[in-house]
Amino acid sequence: MANVELVNLTKNYKRGSEIIRALDGVSLKIDKGEFVAVVGRSGSGKTTMLDLLGLLLKPTSGSLLIDGVDTTKLSDRDRARMRARRVGFVFQEYNLLSGMNVLENVTLPLRYVRDAKAAGRARAIELIDRVGLTDRITHRPTELSGGQMQRVAIARSMVNSPSLILLDEPTGAVDTETAQQLVDLLKRLNREDQVTIVLVTHDLDIAGEARRQIRLKDGKVLTDERVGEAVGAA
Amino acid sequence: METIRNVLRHKLRSFLTVLGILIGVLALTTMGALAENFNALLDGGVKYFGGSVQVGPPDGQAASLLPLSKIDEIKQVPGVSAAFPAYAFQAKPGQITTVSFGVPDTIIAGDPQENQWSALKLTTTQGHYLTGSSGEVVLGSTIDKEFNKKVGDTIDLPVRPADAKPDFVNHTFTVVGILNVTRTAPDTFAYINTTDGQMLLKDSLPIAIRDQIDVSKISEGFDVYGAPGSSLSQLDKIADGINSQVTGVKAVRPSTVVTSFKSGGAIFTAITTAAALLALIIGGLSVVNTMFMAVAERVREIGLKKAVGATTLNVMGEFLLEATFIGFLGGVLGYGLGALITIIANATTPAGQPTLFLITPNLTILSIGFAIALGAVAGVLPAWRAARMDPVLALRSE
Repeated sequence: MANVELVNLTKNYKRGSEIIRALDGVSLKIDKGEFVAVVGRSGSGKTTMLDLLGLLLKPTSGSLLIDGVDTTKLSDRDRARMRARRVGFVFQEYNLLSGMNVLENVTLPLRYVRDAKAAGRARAIELIDRVGLTDRITHRPTELSGGQMQRVAIARSMVNSPSLILLDEPTGAVDTETAQQLVDLLKRLNREDQVTIVLVTHDLDIAGEARRQIRLKDGKVLTDERVGEAVGAA
Repeated sequence: METIRNVLRHKLRSFLTVLGILIGVLALTTMGALAENFNALLDGGVKYFGGSVQVGPPDGQAASLLPLSKIDEIKQVPGVSAAFPAYAFQAKPGQITTVSFGVPDTIIAGDPQENQWSALKLTTTQGHYLTGSSGEVVLGSTIDKEFNKKVGDTIDLPVRPADAKPDFVNHTFTVVGILNVTRTAPDTFAYINTTDGQMLLKDSLPIAIRDQIDVSKISEGFDVYGAPGSSLSQLDKIADGINSQVTGVKAVRPSTVVTSFKSGGAIFTAITTAAALLALIIGGLSVVNTMFMAVAERVREIGLKKAVGATTLNVMGEFLLEATFIGFLGGVLGYGLGALITIIANATTPAGQPTLFLITPNLTILSIGFAIALGAVAGVLPAWRAARMDPVLALRSE
């Protein structure tokens, strides 16, 4: 069973009297444990697609299934619960809370999942160790480098053991060397935890590290390629 | 923990907001304590006057002198179980009457048995109540402090004024008991026996008629009691009976007196509480302002929390908790400071003056509870705005 399935997914925006088709009838499947890069020019629909996958937006039409659940039929509350349990987010600007230390930032999502705190704390400590920040566990974000902050954000995205992690330009705010280290970390976590990763980027070098590349243009899938094979447009 | 951290994020702003609530609660506590003290005084009046029928001269008669024989006629009225002659004199004649929250020092003369019938039972903290022997006095708690007396001491009553005329007369009484605090009229009363009261009555008469009147046969008024536990309406009926059956006296319906006391108390409480609540509501508006600013500053944080699974209720709850905490902090500090001020004010009240403030459990609950509720209510609108925020826009806000 596919981890994520988009069926004729469409998202329109209204700008005055004009209707913008940000995502235009996209259908595709992403299997569990895949590492997918979504690329495309600005305005191609990749961020809208990420927001839809993260259940932050509701589609205008079509269906989005995550782990077999049709998310388009869920209430706002159930969508929030699904985000808490099955989806992890990593943003370009890290979005760490400045008043919290590393451990508190990583455990933030646990407060929205019932009965997750006790086991979740142990997992948070383990994840902080896996991203190499054990010696920074009590540090505030202002005491960390960009790369370290993004590693904290990656640990936070995995603390609830989600099946899907969504990354929005995660290397956009760090230098090339740090970006490569982050991609290596993501590949390792993807391999070790079999977690599905969908990464949005305009950096083709970073996208080249993924095992599958989906190229969007004008809200439609232009190409969908796995490493070494062309899958074709959906 | 995060709530405290968020409040402390902008220390000066939070301090000023808490200060706003603090000032409001301080006003509510002190004004409330003033009203509670006044109400305690009135409650005593309600208890006393609501438990007996006061009989005095008819309307239009200035002199309050009634034949003692009227007491037998009054006892014939249906429903009357007991009647006692009553005498009252200024304890400090010549004293200038000023606006006060207490009753002036007064000498009350009557039958010691009357205390068994009164709804306001007097109990002693030292010594014992009147036995009926001549020359005894039982002092209320305030008047006792004023003259610094203990059981066995003597006191001259009425107190000689500084500018007393040569013919001023007073008498020496032995203190046989000191009353427990009642927070109402008896605190400033000195109780003596009927015969001593008649002696003071004679002293108070004009010289021209003093020797022509047998004070053992007259009274200034009567306190009339129904069967123990009589209701206000039953006592009203007794008053009506006295007015229709006994000539030359007027009985006041207890319900009239009680209503008058209660309306006086209600107006005073309304004025003081309204003034304090106004101050508190202004403090509450500062919480609204602070919370709106907090929401505006934490847009990305709200977006992030929603992205990682916070529901609308979760976000709303977090901001409501913060506003409630500010209310709680201001409430506890304001109440603490207000209570401290009232304690100091009461402690420094000159001996013989009634204390002005009374902190009651109800006032404590009202002061702190209202501040917490105000904080919560003030947080609703900002919390709602935070909770309804679009996570996509919030996450990408600058």
